[in-house]
Amino acid sequence: MRDWQAFVRARLRLPGLPPEREARIVRELAAQLEDCCRDALARGAADADADAHAAGQISDWEQMTRDVYVAERRNLRPRADRLADRIDGLAETRTGGLRMIANVLRDSRYAIRQLAHTPGFTLVAILTIALGIGATTAIFSVVNGVLLRPLPYPEPDRLVRVHEIVPQYGRFSVAPATFLDWQQQNTVFEHMAAYSSGSATFTGREGPERVSRAAVSADLFDLLNVQPALGRTFNREEDAPGRNTVMVLSHGMWQRRFGADSQVLGRSVTLNGQPFTIVGVMPADFYFPSRSAEFWTPIALDPAKATRGGHFLGVIARVKTDVPLAQAGAEIRTISERLAQEYPANSANESAEIVPLLEQVVGTIRPALLTLFGAVAVVVLIACANVANLLLVRASVREKEIAIRAAMGAGRRRLTLQMLAESLVLALTGGALGLIVAYLAIPLIRTLSAGSIPRVDDITIDAPVLAFVAGVSVLTGIIFGLAPAWQASRATIGSVLKEGGRSSSSSGGRWLRSSLLVGEVALSIVLLVGAALLLRSFSRLMDVNPGFDADRVLAFQVALPPASYPEEHHRVAFFENLLTKLEALPQVSAAGMTQALPLRSDYVLSFTIQGRPPAAPGEGPSANHRSVSPGYFKTLGIPLVRGRVFNERDSEEMPMVAIVDQAFADRHFAGADPIGGGIDIGNGTDGFYEIVGVVGNVHHGGLDADPTPSMYVPFRQDVFSSMSVAARTEGDPAQLASAARQVVREIDSRLPTFQMAPLGEIVSESVAQRRFSMLLLGVFALLALFLASVGLYGVVAYAVSQRTQEIGLRMAIGAQAGDVLRLILGGGMKLALIGVAIGTAGALALSQLVASMLYGVTPFDPVSYAMTAVALLAVAALACYLPARRAMRIDPILALRQE
Amino acid sequence: MFSPELKKGSTEMLVLSLLESRARHGYEIGKLIEMRSGGRLRFALPTLYPTLLRLENRGWIKGRWVEKAGQRERCFYRLTSSGRRVLREQRKIWKAYVAAVNEVMG
Repeated sequence: MRDWQAFVRARLRLPGLPPEREARIVRELAAQLEDCCRDALARGAADADADAHAAGQISDWEQMTRDVYVAERRNLRPRADRLADRIDGLAETRTGGLRMIANVLRDSRYAIRQLAHTPGFTLVAILTIALGIGATTAIFSVVNGVLLRPLPYPEPDRLVRVHEIVPQYGRFSVAPATFLDWQQQNTVFEHMAAYSSGSATFTGREGPERVSRAAVSADLFDLLNVQPALGRTFNREEDAPGRNTVMVLSHGMWQRRFGADSQVLGRSVTLNGQPFTIVGVMPADFYFPSRSAEFWTPIALDPAKATRGGHFLGVIARVKTDVPLAQAGAEIRTISERLAQEYPANSANESAEIVPLLEQVVGTIRPALLTLFGAVAVVVLIACANVANLLLVRASVREKEIAIRAAMGAGRRRLTLQMLAESLVLALTGGALGLIVAYLAIPLIRTLSAGSIPRVDDITIDAPVLAFVAGVSVLTGIIFGLAPAWQASRATIGSVLKEGGRSSSSSGGRWLRSSLLVGEVALSIVLLVGAALLLRSFSRLMDVNPGFDADRVLAFQVALPPASYPEEHHRVAFFENLLTKLEALPQVSAAGMTQALPLRSDYVLSFTIQGRPPAAPGEGPSANHRSVSPGYFKTLGIPLVRGRVFNERDSEEMPMVAIVDQAFADRHFAGADPIGGGIDIGNGTDGFYEIVGVVGNVHHGGLDADPTPSMYVPFRQDVFSSMSVAARTEGDPAQLASAARQVVREIDSRLPTFQMAPLGEIVSESVAQRRFSMLLLGVFALLALFLASVGLYGVVAYAVSQRTQEIGLRMAIGAQAGDVLRLILGGGMKLALIGVAIGTAGALALSQLVASMLYGVTPFDPVSYAMTAVALLAVAALACYLPARRAMRIDPILALRQE
Repeated sequence: MFSPELKKGSTEMLVLSLLESRARHGYEIGKLIEMRSGGRLRFALPTLYPTLLRLENRGWIKGRWVEKAGQRERCFYRLTSSGRRVLREQRKIWKAYVAAVNEVMG
């Protein structure tokens, strides 16, 4: 005899029942089937017949499962049901607040049950909301982490950056003497500190390494009001030349390089070839001025030697609690203007201003982030319109149910609340899913934004973000629930039941649905236009010729410590040797170097042209200054326009020569030949350089900035201790990296190479922020387009289902498939066209918002607008075509019979 | 012979009445209905079994696994006191209903 229990178990699945109950039912049914089989055998049936007879007792197992479920309703989730009964009891008997809560709970339960009845609708609605809220939450977490969260120092509102204002350049770094005067003369700051970021060669157990550091005033830690986790910070005595051989470690460096050793205090380490003593370790969450700084040393400004000409200090200050920021700014300006009059030779016309520190850190990214935030808000609105539309369609299908509930005594208020409860259940579920979407999106955004957004590590899901999700979920639930709730509250028994049970769609409902759809399309157009403008800007930007050829060039930096390379001729000898050895590598076709690579760093000097009257201090011309090796132009592919490039003979002993670029020649020698002219670079420091050549322009300041005048001098006549080396290869520049490192090690094993990257990457980094904005806005625009097309599809498909009979009738009296297609497509496309028109007008009005993010296109770029409209109409046509095709296949006879 | 609608209203009552005298197992109940009605009433397992579950869930009958000598273990249902009350009530209503119908139909 067969195993009847296995037979039943394979056919009857009862998830949701307690397991012991399910086992009992299976066992008993099996016992009865076995009885039946034995009975047949006893009546003389053959084995096979008896077995078939018993097995045939239950022919429809699906029906059986359903019937068992109905009978076992009480055992399904018994606790939840018991709770529900209690809530219902409360709603009936109590009054006041408890009753309201009970009602809300009852409405939610009813809503969940209603939503579970239509899983397809529910799924689409929840996914739509999840996408909208997920995108918004992800961007909000960026806005929150970058713009809103206070800086990680106590009372961050009173921290300010203090800038000098130099007539030619605007906000500028501060000269040491000016800083010392400010520090002495001001009455508005509790503390004032100077710092200078840089890097130093740290020699540890793993060999030499270039490490980021900041040289800071002893006051800095008191100013920020942060205590060290271990040991102490600097004292004033150590912040003086000759005594500044102490350092404070960041928590990260302490862990990585010292294994979090608590005995690290007092240990001596080698920095740039000199011994330093570790006196403290900062806490884990401390950073200044950026997260990259791994340790701090005293800046040790020497009042006796402080100058007013070299501007290289960053200055921050803490404003006294009883002093308004404006007053602090006014005083520092007054002091600076007084100093400018006192020292006209160096500081004429200079001034100063303060900027809140947070503003300083995030100022440049703010417009881009706020634009993106606006864009996701639009996505959420579109999602809301979409779900509202779905709910409206559903509400009109349920008109009868609602009317009956009204007839049974449900008040208008209860019905409205009931519909709102459904929207809120949808919105909160969508919001929870959206949170997961955001959680997954944040690492993506971090990777995408690396290098283009400050404070990127502060982007997390924290309490404000959670509060935001909750708020947005409730708000969206109310927004998209309003329309259906309003419709439900208007339901009257008469009007609905009169229609013979066919769900009606009142003209009001249809109008509402159409307007929502038009709104969706219009909003999508706004986003799409924004994305198209950014996309076209980006492609224009990538078409910009940077003035050099970044392909197949590897760049890296080498810094010579003054301790081992004290004199210029030591440094020149090292770099000459390095270039010769690099050029000898088989895969290298050219090598060159400069103290500041284009797009990466900045180096500007003022100058005077021979034979022209000297300008007033601070008002003379200035230009990019590059100290380069002869091979630099060939390596970077910068073309020679006239004259000659540098050669090996342009050394220290020879007459000083310079090369200028076309922009320099145009600006300062308009029409005349600059070759043979002289320029006094740095005004009086070196004397006149004779111009021997003109080269092509280079975008030093960024692809989006017009090339500014540049002047080049031979490195042998003005050598720097830190140079960026570039090597052109035949193949992949990344493959050259280890060979290049080896070359440096061979010459001096104590020297690290750093900031090694293909030049192409440096170009790409320079547009990272634009790429970030463009990609995100593009994603949001596509999301909007998708949502709008789903919405359009839904509305048209619903219209087709409502008009089945009408279409059938039309076909019965001779309409062709083409006529039906025109009818359905026409209806949908009319809405899309209205939306496109409104959206285009809106985009024209709003496009000024992205104007600052554009390059090479105007906010009214006709191509972007046309592209967008065409793309949207094409997608809309597809969204309408699918239901239209279904309408064309309607069988007139079946359609007319349907009632 | 009788339409399902007609049978549906009386299944529960029949099951309850068969359990009045003693406890029986499911298969036996089905067989008894068929025998006592002379084969005119026949309830298939898919109808009868959910009825048993329903009655049990309402607390009118109670199933228990019993192993009788020489037989396999089976689930025997007995009438509970509330089941007994319901049966009494239903019997009364049924009789009144049949009388009224007969009266009308003559």
